[in-house]
Amino acid sequence: MTCLEVRELLPELAVGVLSPDDREHVEQHLRWCAGCRKEAADLGQAAATVGFALEPVAVPKGLGDRVVARVRRAAGAPGTPRRARMAAAAVVAAMVAVASLGWGAVMAGRADRFAQRAERAEREQAVALERFQRVLAGVIPGQELPEDETHLGQLAPVAAGSGGGAVLQLISPTILDFVMVIVNGLDPAEGAMPYRVRLVNEGGDVLRAGRIDELDADGGAEVFHQFKTADLTGYATVNVVDSTGAVVLAGVVDQSA
Amino acid sequence: MEGLLAGNEDAVRALYARYARPIFTLGLRLLGSAEAAEELTQDVFLAAWRKAARFDPSRGRLSTWLMTIAHNLAVDRLRRETGATRPHLVLMGEVPELLGPDEDEPLIERDVAIRAIESLSDAEKRLLARAYFGGLTAREIAEADGIPLGTVKTRLRTALIKVRRANQDKERP
Repeated sequence: MTCLEVRELLPELAVGVLSPDDREHVEQHLRWCAGCRKEAADLGQAAATVGFALEPVAVPKGLGDRVVARVRRAAGAPGTPRRARMAAAAVVAAMVAVASLGWGAVMAGRADRFAQRAERAEREQAVALERFQRVLAGVIPGQELPEDETHLGQLAPVAAGSGGGAVLQLISPTILDFVMVIVNGLDPAEGAMPYRVRLVNEGGDVLRAGRIDELDADGGAEVFHQFKTADLTGYATVNVVDSTGAVVLAGVVDQSA
Repeated sequence: MEGLLAGNEDAVRALYARYARPIFTLGLRLLGSAEAAEELTQDVFLAAWRKAARFDPSRGRLSTWLMTIAHNLAVDRLRRETGATRPHLVLMGEVPELLGPDEDEPLIERDVAIRAIESLSDAEKRLLARAYFGGLTAREIAEADGIPLGTVKTRLRTALIKVRRANQDKERP
Protein backbone atom coordinates (compact mmCIF):
# COMPACT_ATOMS: atom_id res chain seq x y z
CA MET A 1 0.00 0.00 0.00
CA THR A 2 1.22 3.49 -0.79
CA CYS A 3 1.17 6.35 1.70
CA LEU A 4 -1.67 7.94 -0.30
CA GLU A 5 -3.80 4.82 -0.09
CA VAL A 6 -3.05 4.40 3.60
CA ARG A 7 -3.85 8.00 4.49
CA GLU A 8 -7.22 7.68 2.80
CA LEU A 9 -8.03 4.87 5.24
CA LEU A 10 -6.61 6.43 8.41
CA PRO A 11 -9.79 8.29 9.47
CA GLU A 12 -11.74 5.03 9.42
CA LEU A 13 -8.93 3.29 11.30
CA ALA A 14 -9.14 6.02 13.95
CA VAL A 15 -12.86 5.55 14.52
CA GLY A 16 -12.60 1.74 14.42
CA VAL A 17 -14.66 0.95 11.34
CA LEU A 18 -11.97 -0.31 8.99
CA SER A 19 -12.45 -3.88 7.77
CA PRO A 20 -10.03 -6.40 9.31
CA ASP A 21 -8.25 -6.88 5.95
CA ASP A 22 -7.75 -3.17 5.39
CA ARG A 23 -6.72 -2.70 9.00
CA GLU A 24 -4.05 -5.37 8.68
CA HIS A 25 -2.64 -3.79 5.52
CA VAL A 26 -2.65 -0.32 7.08
CA GLU A 27 -1.01 -1.53 10.28
CA GLN A 28 1.69 -3.28 8.26
CA HIS A 29 2.43 0.00 6.51
CA LEU A 30 2.45 1.92 9.81
CA ARG A 31 5.18 -0.35 11.19
CA TRP A 32 7.74 1.21 8.88
CA CYS A 33 6.27 4.55 7.81
CA ALA A 34 6.84 7.21 10.46
CA GLY A 35 4.91 9.90 8.56
CA CYS A 36 1.71 7.87 8.28
CA ARG A 37 2.20 6.66 11.85
CA LYS A 38 2.20 10.25 13.06
CA GLU A 39 -0.96 11.02 11.11
CA ALA A 40 -2.61 7.86 12.46
CA ALA A 41 -1.66 8.82 16.02
CA ASP A 42 -3.07 12.33 15.60
CA LEU A 43 -6.36 11.09 14.19
CA GLY A 44 -6.53 8.35 16.84
CA GLN A 45 -6.07 10.94 19.59
CA ALA A 46 -8.87 13.01 18.12
CA ALA A 47 -11.20 10.02 17.89
CA ALA A 48 -10.46 9.05 21.49
CA THR A 49 -11.36 12.57 22.58
CA VAL A 50 -14.85 11.98 21.17
CA GLY A 51 -15.27 9.03 23.52
CA PHE A 52 -15.15 11.38 26.50
CA ALA A 53 -18.03 13.48 25.24
CA LEU A 54 -20.74 11.05 26.35
CA GLU A 55 -22.72 11.93 29.42
CA PRO A 56 -21.19 9.68 32.09
CA VAL A 57 -23.24 7.02 33.85
CA ALA A 58 -22.55 5.59 37.31
CA VAL A 59 -20.29 2.53 37.49
CA PRO A 60 -21.49 -0.61 39.32
CA LYS A 61 -20.63 -0.83 43.00
CA GLY A 62 -17.51 -2.88 43.70
CA LEU A 63 -16.20 -2.71 40.15
CA GLY A 64 -13.03 -0.97 41.34
CA ASP A 65 -12.22 -3.86 43.66
CA ARG A 66 -12.84 -6.34 40.88
CA VAL A 67 -10.55 -4.43 38.52
CA VAL A 68 -7.76 -4.33 41.10
CA ALA A 69 -8.22 -8.01 41.89
CA ARG A 70 -7.96 -8.92 38.23
CA VAL A 71 -4.79 -6.90 37.70
CA ARG A 72 -3.31 -8.37 40.87
CA ARG A 73 -4.13 -11.87 39.66
CA ALA A 74 -2.54 -11.21 36.30
CA ALA A 75 0.52 -9.73 37.98
CA GLY A 76 1.08 -12.98 39.81
CA ALA A 77 0.71 -11.35 43.23
CA PRO A 78 0.72 -13.52 46.35
CA GLY A 79 -1.98 -16.08 46.09
CA THR A 80 -1.24 -17.13 42.53
CA PRO A 81 -0.20 -20.76 42.52
CA ARG A 82 3.01 -20.27 40.59
CA ARG A 83 4.30 -23.77 41.09
CA ALA A 84 0.99 -25.24 40.06
CA ARG A 85 1.01 -23.05 37.00
CA MET A 86 4.45 -24.23 36.01
CA ALA A 87 3.51 -27.82 36.59
CA ALA A 88 0.43 -27.38 34.45
CA ALA A 89 2.54 -25.65 31.82
CA ALA A 90 4.64 -28.80 31.55
CA VAL A 91 1.49 -30.77 30.89
CA VAL A 92 0.46 -28.26 28.27
CA ALA A 93 3.90 -28.45 26.71
CA ALA A 94 3.50 -32.17 26.31
CA MET A 95 0.12 -31.64 24.73
CA VAL A 96 1.53 -29.16 22.27
CA ALA A 97 4.15 -31.69 21.33
CA VAL A 98 1.45 -34.22 20.70
CA ALA A 99 -0.76 -31.82 18.82
CA SER A 100 1.78 -30.30 16.47
CA LEU A 101 2.09 -31.73 13.02
CA GLY A 102 5.58 -32.92 12.15
CA TRP A 103 6.44 -33.88 15.65
CA GLY A 104 6.39 -37.57 14.82
CA ALA A 105 9.91 -37.30 13.38
CA VAL A 106 11.27 -35.14 16.15
CA MET A 107 9.90 -37.45 18.78
CA ALA A 108 11.16 -40.58 17.06
CA GLY A 109 13.67 -41.33 19.77
CA ARG A 110 11.07 -41.32 22.47
CA ALA A 111 8.92 -44.11 23.70
CA ASP A 112 6.59 -45.84 21.29
CA ARG A 113 3.68 -44.84 23.41
CA PHE A 114 4.45 -41.19 22.77
CA ALA A 115 4.92 -41.76 19.04
CA GLN A 116 1.58 -43.50 18.79
CA ARG A 117 -0.08 -40.66 20.60
CA ALA A 118 1.60 -38.22 18.22
CA GLU A 119 0.29 -40.08 15.19
CA ARG A 120 -3.17 -40.14 16.59
CA ALA A 121 -3.02 -36.49 17.51
CA GLU A 122 -1.84 -35.52 14.04
CA ARG A 123 -5.09 -36.87 12.72
CA GLU A 124 -7.07 -35.11 15.39
CA GLN A 125 -5.21 -31.89 15.83
CA ALA A 126 -8.32 -29.82 16.31
CA VAL A 127 -9.46 -32.07 19.13
CA ALA A 128 -6.05 -31.95 20.77
CA LEU A 129 -5.97 -28.18 20.58
CA GLU A 130 -9.33 -28.03 22.22
CA ARG A 131 -8.01 -30.14 25.09
CA PHE A 132 -4.97 -27.92 25.22
CA GLN A 133 -7.21 -24.89 25.55
CA ARG A 134 -9.00 -26.49 28.47
CA VAL A 135 -5.75 -27.21 30.26
CA LEU A 136 -4.56 -23.66 29.70
CA ALA A 137 -7.81 -22.37 31.11
CA GLY A 138 -6.86 -24.24 34.25
CA VAL A 139 -3.38 -22.78 34.22
CA ILE A 140 -4.69 -19.25 34.53
CA PRO A 141 -7.86 -19.53 36.61
CA GLY A 142 -10.79 -17.43 35.60
CA GLN A 143 -9.43 -16.77 32.14
CA GLU A 144 -10.50 -18.14 28.83
CA LEU A 145 -8.10 -18.49 25.96
CA PRO A 146 -9.79 -17.86 22.66
CA GLU A 147 -8.32 -20.00 19.93
CA ASP A 148 -7.45 -16.93 17.88
CA GLU A 149 -5.07 -15.78 20.61
CA THR A 150 -2.89 -18.90 20.58
CA HIS A 151 -0.37 -19.40 17.82
CA LEU A 152 1.83 -22.36 16.95
CA GLY A 153 5.11 -22.73 15.14
CA GLN A 154 7.84 -25.30 14.61
CA LEU A 155 11.58 -25.12 15.10
CA ALA A 156 13.93 -26.75 12.64
CA PRO A 157 17.70 -27.24 12.86
CA VAL A 158 19.86 -24.58 11.26
CA ALA A 159 22.58 -25.75 8.84
CA ALA A 160 23.95 -29.10 9.97
CA GLY A 161 22.37 -28.90 13.40
CA SER A 162 20.18 -31.53 14.93
CA GLY A 163 16.89 -31.68 16.77
CA GLY A 164 13.65 -29.79 16.46
CA GLY A 165 10.99 -28.15 18.48
CA ALA A 166 7.57 -26.58 18.76
CA VAL A 167 6.48 -23.17 19.94
CA LEU A 168 3.23 -21.88 21.29
CA GLN A 169 2.59 -18.20 21.86
CA LEU A 170 -0.37 -16.65 23.58
CA ILE A 171 -1.04 -13.08 22.47
CA SER A 172 -4.01 -11.70 24.27
CA PRO A 173 -5.46 -8.31 25.13
CA THR A 174 -6.54 -9.53 28.53
CA ILE A 175 -4.05 -12.17 29.67
CA LEU A 176 -0.31 -11.83 30.05
CA ASP A 177 1.35 -12.96 26.85
CA PHE A 178 3.45 -16.07 27.14
CA VAL A 179 5.58 -18.38 25.06
CA MET A 180 6.12 -22.05 25.51
CA VAL A 181 8.94 -23.82 23.68
CA ILE A 182 9.66 -27.52 23.57
CA VAL A 183 12.91 -28.74 22.07
CA ASN A 184 14.29 -32.17 21.41
CA GLY A 185 17.48 -33.68 20.01
CA LEU A 186 19.80 -30.87 21.12
CA ASP A 187 23.49 -31.57 21.56
CA PRO A 188 24.19 -32.07 25.28
CA ALA A 189 27.91 -31.22 24.86
CA GLU A 190 29.25 -29.06 27.63
CA GLY A 191 30.46 -26.42 25.19
CA ALA A 192 26.99 -25.94 23.75
CA MET A 193 25.17 -25.50 27.04
CA PRO A 194 23.38 -23.46 28.18
CA TYR A 195 20.97 -22.84 25.31
CA ARG A 196 18.85 -19.72 25.22
CA VAL A 197 15.51 -19.07 23.60
CA ARG A 198 14.99 -15.72 21.94
CA LEU A 199 12.04 -14.08 20.21
CA VAL A 200 12.81 -11.62 17.45
CA ASN A 201 10.57 -9.17 15.60
CA GLU A 202 10.96 -7.71 12.13
CA GLY A 203 12.84 -4.73 13.49
CA GLY A 204 15.45 -7.01 15.07
CA ASP A 205 14.30 -6.36 18.63
CA VAL A 206 14.91 -9.36 20.86
CA LEU A 207 12.98 -10.72 23.82
CA ARG A 208 14.58 -13.33 26.03
CA ALA A 209 12.22 -16.22 26.60
CA GLY A 210 14.34 -18.50 28.74
CA ARG A 211 17.47 -20.51 29.25
CA ILE A 212 18.04 -24.25 29.02
CA ASP A 213 20.56 -25.50 31.54
CA GLU A 214 19.65 -29.17 31.40
CA LEU A 215 18.61 -31.59 28.72
CA ASP A 216 16.92 -34.92 29.22
CA ALA A 217 18.25 -38.17 27.72
CA ASP A 218 16.76 -37.24 24.33
CA GLY A 219 18.28 -33.78 24.31
CA GLY A 220 14.87 -32.38 25.18
CA ALA A 221 13.74 -29.52 27.38
CA GLU A 222 10.81 -27.19 27.88
CA VAL A 223 10.77 -23.45 28.38
CA PHE A 224 7.80 -21.43 29.57
CA HIS A 225 7.96 -17.68 29.98
CA GLN A 226 5.17 -15.27 30.76
CA PHE A 227 5.87 -11.61 29.94
CA LYS A 228 4.74 -9.09 32.50
CA THR A 229 4.86 -6.09 30.24
CA ALA A 230 5.97 -7.12 26.78
CA ASP A 231 3.45 -7.64 24.01
CA LEU A 232 4.49 -10.57 21.78
CA THR A 233 2.81 -9.16 18.70
CA GLY A 234 5.39 -9.20 15.92
CA TYR A 235 7.86 -11.37 17.84
CA ALA A 236 7.19 -14.27 15.53
CA THR A 237 10.73 -15.50 14.91
CA VAL A 238 11.96 -17.93 17.54
CA ASN A 239 15.62 -18.91 17.82
CA VAL A 240 17.39 -21.32 20.11
CA VAL A 241 21.04 -20.35 20.42
CA ASP A 242 23.91 -22.21 22.04
CA SER A 243 26.42 -20.84 24.51
CA THR A 244 28.48 -19.29 21.70
CA GLY A 245 25.45 -17.41 20.38
CA ALA A 246 25.10 -19.60 17.28
CA VAL A 247 21.52 -20.31 16.25
CA VAL A 248 20.88 -24.06 16.39
CA LEU A 249 17.10 -24.12 15.98
CA ALA A 250 14.90 -21.56 14.27
CA GLY A 251 11.31 -21.17 13.31
CA VAL A 252 8.45 -18.74 12.81
CA VAL A 253 5.17 -18.65 14.68
CA ASP A 254 2.18 -17.96 12.47
CA GLN A 255 0.67 -15.07 14.42
CA SER A 256 -2.01 -14.53 11.82
CA ALA A 257 -3.51 -17.97 12.40
CA MET B 1 2.62 5.19 35.27
CA GLU B 2 5.58 3.67 37.10
CA GLY B 3 3.15 2.46 39.73
CA LEU B 4 0.89 0.98 37.12
CA LEU B 5 3.83 -0.72 35.50
CA ALA B 6 4.75 -2.34 38.78
CA GLY B 7 1.21 -3.57 39.26
CA ASN B 8 0.90 -1.21 42.21
CA GLU B 9 -2.59 -1.43 43.63
CA ASP B 10 -2.76 2.27 44.50
CA ALA B 11 -1.77 3.22 40.97
CA VAL B 12 -4.50 1.02 39.52
CA ARG B 13 -7.03 2.48 41.96
CA ALA B 14 -6.01 6.05 41.12
CA LEU B 15 -6.35 5.39 37.43
CA TYR B 16 -9.66 3.66 38.01
CA ALA B 17 -11.02 6.54 40.10
CA ARG B 18 -10.30 8.98 37.33
CA TYR B 19 -11.21 7.06 34.20
CA ALA B 20 -13.55 4.18 35.06
CA ARG B 21 -16.67 6.25 34.56
CA PRO B 22 -16.05 7.42 30.98
CA ILE B 23 -14.75 3.98 30.03
CA PHE B 24 -17.76 2.21 31.53
CA THR B 25 -20.01 4.76 29.81
CA LEU B 26 -18.41 4.06 26.44
CA GLY B 27 -18.76 0.32 27.05
CA LEU B 28 -22.42 0.67 27.92
CA ARG B 29 -23.04 2.77 24.84
CA LEU B 30 -21.20 0.47 22.44
CA LEU B 31 -21.95 -2.95 23.92
CA GLY B 32 -25.45 -2.31 25.20
CA SER B 33 -25.39 -4.00 28.62
CA ALA B 34 -23.99 -3.18 32.03
CA GLU B 35 -22.47 -6.65 32.24
CA ALA B 36 -20.56 -6.26 28.99
CA ALA B 37 -19.53 -2.73 29.95
CA GLU B 38 -18.14 -4.03 33.25
CA GLU B 39 -16.16 -6.74 31.48
CA LEU B 40 -14.83 -4.16 29.07
CA THR B 41 -13.81 -1.86 31.92
CA GLN B 42 -11.88 -4.69 33.56
CA ASP B 43 -10.25 -5.58 30.24
CA VAL B 44 -9.19 -1.98 29.66
CA PHE B 45 -7.40 -1.61 32.98
CA LEU B 46 -5.77 -4.99 32.61
CA ALA B 47 -4.62 -4.11 29.09
CA ALA B 48 -3.37 -0.74 30.35
CA TRP B 49 -1.34 -2.44 33.03
CA ARG B 50 0.07 -4.92 30.52
CA LYS B 51 0.95 -2.24 28.00
CA ALA B 52 2.00 0.46 30.46
CA ALA B 53 5.61 0.17 29.36
CA ARG B 54 4.53 1.12 25.85
CA PHE B 55 2.76 4.30 26.84
CA ASP B 56 4.70 7.29 25.57
CA PRO B 57 3.48 10.58 27.10
CA SER B 58 5.21 12.54 24.37
CA ARG B 59 2.88 10.97 21.82
CA GLY B 60 -0.41 11.56 23.56
CA ARG B 61 -2.34 11.87 26.79
CA LEU B 62 -2.98 9.01 29.16
CA SER B 63 -6.72 9.66 28.94
CA THR B 64 -6.91 9.27 25.17
CA TRP B 65 -4.61 6.26 25.31
CA LEU B 66 -7.03 4.56 27.69
CA MET B 67 -10.05 5.56 25.63
CA THR B 68 -8.39 4.20 22.49
CA ILE B 69 -7.82 0.87 24.24
CA ALA B 70 -11.46 0.87 25.37
CA HIS B 71 -12.86 1.64 21.92
CA ASN B 72 -10.61 -0.90 20.20
CA LEU B 73 -11.48 -3.65 22.68
CA ALA B 74 -15.21 -2.89 22.37
CA VAL B 75 -15.11 -2.91 18.59
CA ASP B 76 -13.04 -6.11 18.50
CA ARG B 77 -15.48 -7.77 20.88
CA LEU B 78 -18.45 -6.82 18.75
CA ARG B 79 -16.72 -8.11 15.66
CA ARG B 80 -15.87 -11.41 17.39
CA GLU B 81 -19.37 -11.89 18.67
CA THR B 82 -21.17 -11.06 15.46
CA GLY B 83 -18.58 -12.38 13.04
CA ALA B 84 -19.17 -9.20 11.08
CA THR B 85 -16.47 -7.26 9.28
CA ARG B 86 -17.58 -4.15 11.07
CA PRO B 87 -19.11 -3.63 14.48
CA HIS B 88 -22.86 -3.31 14.82
CA LEU B 89 -23.15 -0.65 17.42
CA VAL B 90 -26.10 1.53 18.27
CA LEU B 91 -29.01 2.00 15.89
CA MET B 92 -28.97 5.13 13.83
CA GLY B 93 -31.88 6.61 15.74
CA GLU B 94 -29.97 6.09 18.95
CA VAL B 95 -26.75 7.81 18.03
CA PRO B 96 -25.89 9.58 21.26
CA GLU B 97 -26.20 13.24 21.83
CA LEU B 98 -22.61 14.32 22.28
CA LEU B 99 -23.31 17.40 24.30
CA GLY B 100 -24.95 16.33 27.53
CA PRO B 101 -25.78 18.49 30.53
CA ASP B 102 -23.12 19.17 33.14
CA GLU B 103 -22.88 16.50 35.78
CA ASP B 104 -21.95 16.74 39.43
CA GLU B 105 -18.35 15.68 39.00
CA PRO B 106 -16.98 17.39 35.93
CA LEU B 107 -14.15 15.55 34.25
CA ILE B 108 -11.50 17.68 32.60
CA GLU B 109 -11.32 15.30 29.66
CA ARG B 110 -15.05 15.68 29.08
CA ASP B 111 -14.79 19.42 29.16
CA VAL B 112 -11.98 19.22 26.62
CA ALA B 113 -14.00 16.84 24.45
CA ILE B 114 -17.08 19.02 24.50
CA ARG B 115 -15.11 22.13 23.62
CA ALA B 116 -13.39 20.29 20.77
CA ILE B 117 -16.67 18.98 19.42
CA GLU B 118 -18.19 22.43 19.62
CA SER B 119 -15.68 23.43 16.97
CA LEU B 120 -17.44 21.12 14.49
CA SER B 121 -20.40 21.89 12.29
CA ASP B 122 -23.60 19.97 13.04
CA ALA B 123 -23.02 17.81 9.97
CA GLU B 124 -19.50 16.96 11.14
CA LYS B 125 -20.70 16.11 14.65
CA ARG B 126 -23.29 13.77 13.25
CA LEU B 127 -20.82 12.17 10.85
CA LEU B 128 -18.31 11.54 13.63
CA ALA B 129 -20.97 10.10 15.93
CA ARG B 130 -22.29 7.79 13.22
CA ALA B 131 -18.81 6.39 12.61
CA TYR B 132 -17.39 6.33 16.17
CA PHE B 133 -20.53 5.34 18.06
CA GLY B 134 -22.61 3.91 15.23
CA GLY B 135 -19.87 1.82 13.64
CA LEU B 136 -20.84 2.91 10.13
CA THR B 137 -18.13 2.77 7.49
CA ALA B 138 -17.52 5.67 5.14
CA ARG B 139 -19.08 3.63 2.33
CA GLU B 140 -22.23 2.96 4.32
CA ILE B 141 -22.60 6.61 5.20
CA ALA B 142 -22.00 7.60 1.58
CA GLU B 143 -24.66 5.19 0.36
CA ALA B 144 -27.15 6.23 3.04
CA ASP B 145 -26.71 9.91 2.29
CA GLY B 146 -26.29 9.57 -1.47
CA ILE B 147 -22.97 11.41 -1.55
CA PRO B 148 -19.60 10.35 -3.01
CA LEU B 149 -17.45 8.05 -0.87
CA GLY B 150 -14.46 10.37 -1.23
CA THR B 151 -16.50 13.23 0.18
CA VAL B 152 -17.40 11.25 3.30
CA LYS B 153 -13.78 10.23 3.85
CA THR B 154 -12.59 13.80 3.44
CA ARG B 155 -15.24 15.13 5.83
CA LEU B 156 -14.42 12.49 8.43
CA ARG B 157 -10.75 13.38 8.24
CA THR B 158 -11.55 17.09 8.41
CA ALA B 159 -13.72 16.57 11.49
CA LEU B 160 -11.00 14.60 13.26
CA ILE B 161 -8.36 17.19 12.40
CA LYS B 162 -10.61 19.95 13.76
CA VAL B 163 -11.01 18.03 17.02
CA ARG B 164 -7.28 17.51 17.19
CA ARG B 165 -6.57 21.18 16.55
CA ALA B 166 -9.07 22.26 19.17
CA ASN B 167 -7.28 19.99 21.63
CA GLN B 168 -3.91 21.39 20.70
CA ASP B 169 -5.18 24.96 21.14
CA LYS B 170 -6.45 23.96 24.55
CA GLU B 171 -3.06 22.50 25.47
CA ARG B 172 -1.18 25.68 24.51
CA PRO B 173 -0.50 28.14 27.33
